[in-house]
Amino acid sequence: MTALRRTVLPFAGFAVVIAAWWLAATLITGKDVPTPGEVFATAWSGLREPEGLLVDIRLSVVRVLIGVVVGCALSLPVGFALAWFPTLRAMFDPIINFCRALPPIALTPLVIIYLGIGEEARLFVLVWAAFFASVVVLYEGIAAVEDIYVRAGRALGATDLELFRRVIVPATVPQMFVAVRVALGVSWATLVAAELIAAQRGLGAAIQRSASFFRTEEVYAGILLIGVCALLMDIAVRLVQARAVSWQERVVR
Amino acid sequence: MSGDTGSARISFDDVHVGFGRGAKRVEVIDGVSFDVGAGEFVSVLGPSGCGKSTLLNMAAGFLAADAGEARFDGERITRPDSRRGVVFQQYAIFPWLSVEKNIAFGLTLKRNRRSRAETEESVRRYIGLMGLDGFEKSLPKQLSGGMRQRVALARAYATDPDVLLLDEPFAALDAQTREFMQELLHEASQAERRAAMLITHSVEEAIYLSHRIVVLGNRPTTVHEVIDVDVPWPRSPESRLQPEFLELRGHLEGVMRSLSGSAFRKAHP
Ligand SMILES: Nc1ncnc2c1ncn2[C@@H]1O[C@H](COP(=O)(O)OP(=O)(O)OP(=O)(O)O)[C@@H](O)[C@H]1O
Ligand SMILES: [Mg+2]
Repeated sequence: MTALRRTVLPFAGFAVVIAAWWLAATLITGKDVPTPGEVFATAWSGLREPEGLLVDIRLSVVRVLIGVVVGCALSLPVGFALAWFPTLRAMFDPIINFCRALPPIALTPLVIIYLGIGEEARLFVLVWAAFFASVVVLYEGIAAVEDIYVRAGRALGATDLELFRRVIVPATVPQMFVAVRVALGVSWATLVAAELIAAQRGLGAAIQRSASFFRTEEVYAGILLIGVCALLMDIAVRLVQARAVSWQERVVR
Repeated sequence: MSGDTGSARISFDDVHVGFGRGAKRVEVIDGVSFDVGAGEFVSVLGPSGCGKSTLLNMAAGFLAADAGEARFDGERITRPDSRRGVVFQQYAIFPWLSVEKNIAFGLTLKRNRRSRAETEESVRRYIGLMGLDGFEKSLPKQLSGGMRQRVALARAYATDPDVLLLDEPFAALDAQTREFMQELLHEASQAERRAAMLITHSVEEAIYLSHRIVVLGNRPTTVHEVIDVDVPWPRSPESRLQPEFLELRGHLEGVMRSLSGSAFRKAHP
């Protein structure tokens, strides 16, 4: 049953939604709603075109990866520092939550003023978003490492450094994966918004371009591809996670 | 014998502990003194919330007394130390390490680093003593509760501590597993002869394992009674039926009942 649930049911979910979409597309006549078939065909031809959607996908994926990698590389040491030193946490927790609450896209005008409309500007917004989304997940997770493991480590004779390397870090690995997945999600959302405003290429820019020519099925195709990319990246992280933290106990339902 | 602090490993000397400040302050331990001698197995019995874990945490070095002091080999205890091994009520073995790596953990720290051969030797010894053969490579998530606590015991033994501090290590286990664990711990402590302080709710467990039982009263807690257990050694499942055992059990169950009864009446007048 569980194997069936894991392999078949997710596809069944997609099938239901696609069927509903198809039904809506055939029933609604006044507005421009392309059928799933039209959208898939558009996406497919866009992908096969030289200098077509594949270029946009590559650009967007690379941007998201840079944002997530740099953002998480920054949030990791900051997260550990905040979790380890309560004074730092008390001092910076409010400002971090303030920055996290700002929609990154609201920063774009300022970023354009200071960094121009080049690649640095987009990457800055992405890194910002990935950093603030992941740092909170990280330090809350690290601070919540069960006290019992820390005590056990100390009672066995661990120094602070040994405690950090051999208890806190391994105990936090699951939380690191959560942080990466959160950062990925936020980065995709931010990237598209950033590309909608100022970019020549990329999936967000492609959607914007198509919309200005009223090519609805291309807009749908762009959205579809963003979803597929984000989903595939999330699946990749989850596969790595399943191997890296196979020690974790799962509540079986 | 118990008053001879010369051979005492752990001694509590008129310890006072309270929690909270101002109007919210609650005195928990109100002048407790007793010793755990070298090679002696002492159980601490007492009603819920009377401060048993607090005392053990103090002996471990996780907590300081407000007045009086806890000493280890005559020195004031100020921090955790691997000469005092701890086993917790909750499962505290590291879930990311296999059974053998959990047991070896303490021996791979700078504080008690051993040669590889010595570490392996020690891991093998305690795997055997705790009946964990065949599970060396297993992860904690694959083990039952009883086996996890056996790993925790093995991990505590492996660093060769002078005293074992056991905070209700079997409380979460079912009755049958519990009894089996008591026998296992009894055999291990017969083989090892280390000093031990065992916190427990179970009268049966206290008698089965101990040289001496310290009964604590209700909060603010003092020592209610100290009992030398005269059930002959070594003990076996049959010991539970001996007259000395039964008589002491009857007495202690009465004491525990009246202690928790008076706590209940105080809370619900
Ligand atoms: N850090 C703390 N802050 C405030 N109160 C505490 C703290 N630790 C313990 N207490 C209180 O001190 C009392 C004794 O706690 P302790 O855990 O030592 O009891 P115990 O005898 O081990 O109880 P149990 O049988 O339930 O394990 C309890 O009333 C508890 O609420
Ligand atoms: Mg307790």
